[in-house]
This record gives sequence, C-alpha cells and structure tokens, in this order.
Amino acid sequence: MANLTNLYDTSKCTACRGCQVACKNWNQLPASIKPFKGYYQTHEDTDGDTFTIVRMNEYEDSVEGVRWDFLKYQCMHCLDPACMKVCPRGAYSKTEFGATLHDPDKCIGCQYCTYACPFQIPKYRKREDKIAKCTLCADRVKEGLQPACVSTCAPGALKFGDRDELLGYAEERVKYLRQNGYPQATIYGRLELGGLNKLYILCYEPEYYGLPKEPKIPGQIPFWQDYVQPYLGWLIPLALAGSAFSFVTTRVLANKNGDHHEGGHE
Amino acid sequence: MQWIPEYQADVPRVERFNFVARMTHWGHTVTFLLCLFTGLVLFLDSVDWLAAIFGGYHGAGLVHRIAAVVLTIFLAVFVVFDFKGIISWIKDLLRFGINDIIFVMKFPLEFLGLPVKMPPQTRFNGGEKGNSMLTPTCVILLVLSGYIMWFPSIFPAGLVRVAYPVHDIAMVFATFMVCMHGYLGSFHPGSGESFWGMWKGTVREDWAEHHHPIWYEETYGEKASNDEE
Repeated sequence: MANLTNLYDTSKCTACRGCQVACKNWNQLPASIKPFKGYYQTHEDTDGDTFTIVRMNEYEDSVEGVRWDFLKYQCMHCLDPACMKVCPRGAYSKTEFGATLHDPDKCIGCQYCTYACPFQIPKYRKREDKIAKCTLCADRVKEGLQPACVSTCAPGALKFGDRDELLGYAEERVKYLRQNGYPQATIYGRLELGGLNKLYILCYEPEYYGLPKEPKIPGQIPFWQDYVQPYLGWLIPLALAGSAFSFVTTRVLANKNGDHHEGGHE
Repeated sequence: MQWIPEYQADVPRVERFNFVARMTHWGHTVTFLLCLFTGLVLFLDSVDWLAAIFGGYHGAGLVHRIAAVVLTIFLAVFVVFDFKGIISWIKDLLRFGINDIIFVMKFPLEFLGLPVKMPPQTRFNGGEKGNSMLTPTCVILLVLSGYIMWFPSIFPAGLVRVAYPVHDIAMVFATFMVCMHGYLGSFHPGSGESFWGMWKGTVREDWAEHHHPIWYEETYGEKASNDEE
C-alpha cells in the first residue's frame, strides 16, 4: 500500500487551532492547561497529552510591519524513524500506509525515543509512565476516514492522501506561491531524513518556522545501535567461556603435572 | 577436585582488606548483579523470561533503580568511611610498572594453568591493577549516565543522548571485568588465598609473602614494623 500522507499548507492556515481540539477530542486527551504568557501561543511544545500544536511565529519588520506565520507541529512519521531504531522494547512500528505507531503496552517509559528523535516528538506521559505521540489517526485511516485534524480543518490547510499525489499538488502550490509573493516557498519532508510521511508547504525557509533545515539523527545513535549493541556485548559470553575453559585446563594440567601445590602460583 | 582452597584459621594470617572495603565489595557485588540482570532485560532483545523473574519489565525497572541507589550509597559510604583506603588504593595503582607489565604479559599462561615464574608484586598485581582501574571507572560512568537517563529533563538533551551509549559500553566492559574477576578471585587455582582476603579479610602470611612480596615487606615486614602503630 502506498504511503498515505498528511500535508500541511502554511499559506492557508489561519491558526484557528481546530486541529488541536479535534486531535484532543478523537484521542480522548485531557486538557493540559498552561499559564498565560502574554502571547497567543497556548502550548510551547507538544506533550504527553497534546499530540499537535500550532506554533505562532511573530515576525517584526520595519517595512512590512508585523507578520504572523503559523506552523502545525506534530510527529513527522519519518519513513526511517529513529525512535523505532532505539526503542529497546520494540514498541514502535510502521503501518502499511506509513504511520509510525507507538504501542503503549510495550512501552516502559525509558524515553530513549524522546532524545533520539530529531524533532523531540515522543513525549513522556507522567500519569501513565509511558510515552505518547501522534498516531496519524491510524485507527481512523484503517476505517477509511481521514485523520481528525484533517477532517476538521476549515481553511483546507490540511490534506490527506497518497504521498506521491500530494507531492505533485505541493509542487504546483509552491510554484504558485513563488510567483505570488513568496519567492522562498518550499516543500519540507520530501527528502529530509530520507523522507517524512508528513509534508509541509512552507512560505519561507524551514528555519524560519523552527524546523531543522537538515534534520539529522544524532551521530551516536547509529554507532550505538549498529555497532555497540550487536557486537560489543559478545565480550561477556567470551569472558564466561574463557573462565570455563581455564577452569578445566588449570585442573587438567594440575593433575598431569601432579604439582598443584595449594594456593598455586601468582 | 577442589573449588577454592580451604580456609585455615590455625596458621598466621595478615589483614588484606578492612571491613569497609569488604562491605563495599560485597555490597557492590549484590547490587551490580541485580542491576545487571534487570538491565539486560533491555540490552538483550526478547528476554521476557528474565523480566518475568523481576515481575515484568516494570518490576525490573523498579529493581534496577532501587539497586542502583543502594549501589550509589555503598559508593558514598566507601568514600566517607574509608577515604584513606581509597587513597592508598590509588597510590598502589599508580605504581604500575615493569613488574606489572611482565605479569600481564605472562598471565595468559598462568590463566591456562601452566607454571609461570612471576616478578614480585605490590599490594595489587598487574592484573588486579588493571581491574581496579577499569571496573571502578566503568561503575562511575554507569552511575553518572544512569542518573542522567533517570532524570533526563534536568540535563541538556545532548548529554542525555550520549548517556545511553555510554551506559551500554560501560556496562559491557564492567560485566566483562566482573566475569573475569569473579572467576579469577575464586575458582582459578592460581588465585589461592585471595578469596579469603575479601571474604574474611585476612590471608595466610606465607601466601602474602609469596604472592605480594613488595606489599608484604612494606606492610608487615621488618621495615614496616617500626612505623606501625
């Protein structure tokens, strides 16, 4: 089955935050109430009970005045996810349509994934001592529905469908935006980290929205997962086998030489 | 067949490890092994049976944390109550010299049970010096990285990311050393009295004189008797 992707168009978003509410509603997540900080950003970051947020970027320019830009932020459903690599319990899996799913029954709350993720998306849910994150509404998609955030999006900033088709749409849209006042418009998620199963149409450079331009899996993770875990551990059985071998040879040789004076040598 | 030499109470014996050192040693034996087996639950894939011993993965995590805290307490007790012992231990490790290198080079033969003539050793022989340097270093790394992983939110994210592989690598080296040390400190015929040195605190005087002549001479020999007590 082809990858089914969630596409988000920053140029259409009005930051109504209906997606945030729809997400809470469908996933039955309790409100996480944050203190008012004097600006419109309700949640600084996703958390164990908030799978998606809309980031509000205020941009001040002496000529253009104040500009507001919005970015819906959630799990990117990487095609080759780092969380899945590091999870010691194998709690992560990819569905046939490309969602990265987290199984809370297997999770032990160690939070390796939080710190492996280039976007720091998997978040610790204290009340359950487990990790929680966006599921791309895999349960809805399996039944032929759209993700909750997509189905509620009033201005049509969110679209859901075949990844290749949406990439075609995104190219058209970026072309249009570049000709109409957004020369920096770009697609995010096509090639980043080998492809994300979440696409963005950005009006400006990714850094402007706080997205890493070239997201990277931290260097120590491949070293750790590909070399340390599979090979280094063999030192332990080697020590045990060496000891057992020596246990036999020392006693055999002692019998042979007939000279096992108590206490041995050094 | 003899597993370890018999404890002989009726021969002259000399002290090798004081009470605090022995308590720290055996306290760490128990807590390290608890941490090891509860930690292997995550290091090895699909060892549900091992987790089941500790009441599942959650139980294993709890035991791991409790044992880790107790291990840290033993470490602190050792530092507080036997600081002098630690200093003299480190001083002995710093005496690593040509005799120790010869010892380590010849040791593989000794390990297999071939008769070898070794140069005189200080309180800790070349192999023990290596173990004394590597294992405590690994344990300190394990403790530090462990607490970073336990409370990741109060440490910088980069440090937390490094802590995971460090914990793994230190665990493997520490366990390697513990396996070797466990065998060499008990069932290896060449180790003789060393087990009793850590279990009862004393070793046979003639063994000490024969196996650690420099240490024996300095501590219990004629030179030492003047400045003792």
